[in-house]
Amino acid sequence: MIHLMIFLPLLGSLLLFAVPPRWREEVAGFFAALTLGIGLLIWRDGGSELFSIPWVPALGITYSVALDGVSLTLALVTAFMSLVAVLYAARRVSNPGTMLALVLAMETGLIGIFAARDLVLFYVFFEDALLPALLMLAIYGKPNRMRALVKFAAYTLFGSLLMLLSIIGVKYYGGSPTFALADLVQNPVTGPAQTWLYLGFLAAMAVKLPLWPMHAWLPDFHEQNHDSGVPDVMGTLYKVGGYGIFRFGLTLFPDASEQLRPILMGLAAFTALYAAWIAFRQTEWKRLLAYAGLSHMGFVGLGVFSLNETATIGAMYLLAFQNVYTGALFLSVGMLQERIGSLHTRVGGVMTQAGALGGLSMALWFASIAVPGLAGFIGEFSVLLGAFQVQPWITAVATLSAIAAAAYALTAFQTTFWQGRPLGAVRAWDVRGTEWLVLGLPLAVAVFFGVYSEPALNLIQPAVRGVLATLGGQ
Amino acid sequence: MLQIPDVALAPMLPILIVLAGAIASTLLGFSLPRRALTVINLVMLLLSGVSMVTLWSGPGEAPLTAFGGSLQADNAALLLGLTILVGSAMTLLVSLDTAYRARVSFPEFDAMLMYSVTGTLLIAFSGDLITMLIGLEIMSLASYVLATLQDSRRAEESGLKYFLLGAVGSAILIYGIALVYGGAGSLNYAAIAAQTATLTPGNVGILIGGAVLLLAGFGFKVALAPFHQWTPDVYTGAPTSVSLFLSTVVKVAAFAGMLRVFSGALAAAPGWASTLQILIAATLIIGNAAALFQPNFKRMLAYSAVAHTGFLAMGLLGTPEVGGAALGYYLLIYTLMTAAALAVVAALQRSEEGMTINDLRGLYHRHPAYAAALAVCLASLAGLPPFAGFFGKYLVFQAAFQNGYVWLSVLAALASVAALVYYLRPAMLMFMPDRTPAREYPYGERTPTTFTVALGVVGVTVLGILPNLWYGWVAVPGVWGALAGR
Repeated sequence: MIHLMIFLPLLGSLLLFAVPPRWREEVAGFFAALTLGIGLLIWRDGGSELFSIPWVPALGITYSVALDGVSLTLALVTAFMSLVAVLYAARRVSNPGTMLALVLAMETGLIGIFAARDLVLFYVFFEDALLPALLMLAIYGKPNRMRALVKFAAYTLFGSLLMLLSIIGVKYYGGSPTFALADLVQNPVTGPAQTWLYLGFLAAMAVKLPLWPMHAWLPDFHEQNHDSGVPDVMGTLYKVGGYGIFRFGLTLFPDASEQLRPILMGLAAFTALYAAWIAFRQTEWKRLLAYAGLSHMGFVGLGVFSLNETATIGAMYLLAFQNVYTGALFLSVGMLQERIGSLHTRVGGVMTQAGALGGLSMALWFASIAVPGLAGFIGEFSVLLGAFQVQPWITAVATLSAIAAAAYALTAFQTTFWQGRPLGAVRAWDVRGTEWLVLGLPLAVAVFFGVYSEPALNLIQPAVRGVLATLGGQ
Repeated sequence: MLQIPDVALAPMLPILIVLAGAIASTLLGFSLPRRALTVINLVMLLLSGVSMVTLWSGPGEAPLTAFGGSLQADNAALLLGLTILVGSAMTLLVSLDTAYRARVSFPEFDAMLMYSVTGTLLIAFSGDLITMLIGLEIMSLASYVLATLQDSRRAEESGLKYFLLGAVGSAILIYGIALVYGGAGSLNYAAIAAQTATLTPGNVGILIGGAVLLLAGFGFKVALAPFHQWTPDVYTGAPTSVSLFLSTVVKVAAFAGMLRVFSGALAAAPGWASTLQILIAATLIIGNAAALFQPNFKRMLAYSAVAHTGFLAMGLLGTPEVGGAALGYYLLIYTLMTAAALAVVAALQRSEEGMTINDLRGLYHRHPAYAAALAVCLASLAGLPPFAGFFGKYLVFQAAFQNGYVWLSVLAALASVAALVYYLRPAMLMFMPDRTPAREYPYGERTPTTFTVALGVVGVTVLGILPNLWYGWVAVPGVWGALAGR
């Protein structure tokens, strides 16, 4: 079952090249929906147990996967947003075969990241998610994509190769027989070596999270991607750094995490505030969303690095649902671009002609700026609540970014959707057909989990407790 | 009393079969067309491979030797030999299509190629320094001719450069051998290894000198910086099928020699490892930095070959068991991906100068299969999973890291990032839309080349997902511990 969920999208992606072009949208949709369905079945069964077989016995590399708790939540969100992305891409992108194949291929990489319980396997999936992202940018990107692409890849690989060295080091210095997480935890590395290895591991996670100063690839990546926003959705899902630190960083480097806690929390808080500040100055929707996402990821970092139970739960909650509403916002921006041919934030008056689009976007923005009753609130509030107990001053700085978020989001929204429609502007049509589903479903999820967080918390809470218990308790 | 030399034919069989192919090409070239000779040679390579498989010694079995241990068909030799054969076969397949266009389509090409392969196998099977040297010289001399064979100024220039620098390299190597003989009192790997394990202070200086000179000599052959300068010019100037041969088979053979000498005979000798790590660091920096700025794709691949030398040589810094296994795996993968990438270049280039990186723009829309294959090769060269290049890099990093070369591993990781940039640019350009007219040779897609490319791509993909298929063989305990013979 679990293997099916991981590899089904990849299978679908390969099959897409074999089916006639007419049927590609349907086949892709079928595979994306099937994956989500399997994910829900796994959820109903209460998660999937650890499955482990040797992969390269001579090197101690195992194929160990499990989907439970935090991983299952994130995998479900990934499957859900991939389905939404497929739905939208099928309609919006002309000749979408390649794009759909890449979305599905990336879905496998992402679910694999969340399922992996072996460090090398994690690394392999980590890089596998990169390739489709690069290809999407290369094939569908805008004129300046080459720079964005090289930047993205160079940053990402700079981090991951240092992580690879850490991975080798963790096994070697700890003396573990395999790379499986369970074995590595049994044979921990101690002393200064642990700190160095953690720094190597962090290099990769800070790029993906992303954490200042490793964030520079992010705005270019989003700006140069296809207008539809489909690659951006996948890019949003790609911010797996917070999960990586939670799953591997905290369990393998407990002493180093505590040692570096103030520095890392400071960095995360600074990232949140700095990104919110920059977002305020943006006049392009995608860059604005990119910086908004960066700001949210600062919160995620703050939560995870604080090693506090409430904050970590909040961080995982935020990580999961930020994908949903930010992804949907990227798609709504894509719709906006389709209607008025621009991504500028000062078009004005779109609301008068496309009321539903404006309304849905606004509701999603509310989720994003943590209005109570929507999923974003629970995450951000828990992070701040927990982090405050650990580092009150740093958290106070981060709190400012929540105010800044309201400022940049509402300003940009106001200048785009309200104000006067310029004379002679094209008529913007309203949301129609599957677009209702594309924006409505994520919004429904954001509302549902904003009001009734129980099901998600039930998954996240035990997993967080389990991980933090290894740290000696908070 | 007259002693009968210890001549055993069985362990020599793989080499003799290849030599038979070379001689057949020399003699039959008068009456048979070249394509027929190429097919004969392919069959010979196949037979040689089969004979290698039959020579495989199981656990506890002593490997066959000839000439009193001067030639040994142990498992390490067989594994490296198989890698050499794969590269050679890929060269021959590509030359079936492109030799005519490259104006090297005469029997001498095949003959020289097979002589060269004979030499490379001799290096892999060598049991003492003299056998190794003979193999190296056979290989080198034949390669000089191969590089010059094309009737063009560029080929002549590059061939001459190759010859002169190669000759200097050989001279240094021979001098090193002399000093090692002076220091250890023997030319036999096993004897040298035994001697270096219990060094007497008087000979240490000579031995270190010999080891370092050997390192420099091998440095010329595998293109370690600062001895790499001939590589880009030769790889670019020679016909592409020859570049393919030089950058894969010849390099594998030179590494086979280095494994024998440094991880085997001189494993316990002081001095060379600390020198080697500096050379590797220089190679990684120079090779990768230079490749970043190459506008010509073929030249970029040449510098990538230099950069890969740096990665490969990291395997020598590991303990023989770990490092040898890492190199054994990586060399095959390196052969597959480099050969496949150069095969695509050979098929699509308009002239033997290769193609510029900008010519690759939009290749996916004109030759989708070749473009996808080339992208896989480049991703593998860059070390991205799930392609086998990832495990290759991983293994050599691990080998060096575990033997204490941490800073070198970090440097190698950083160098890989630079490498990613130059591999990525062409790979991504191929998928971008393009409205300019095609700039590649339109009729390049032919069956043997396509087969070669497919072999490389399938190889790196399958061995990347299931590395154990090959690593399981090269990592058999004891294979690399006995590099010097017993």
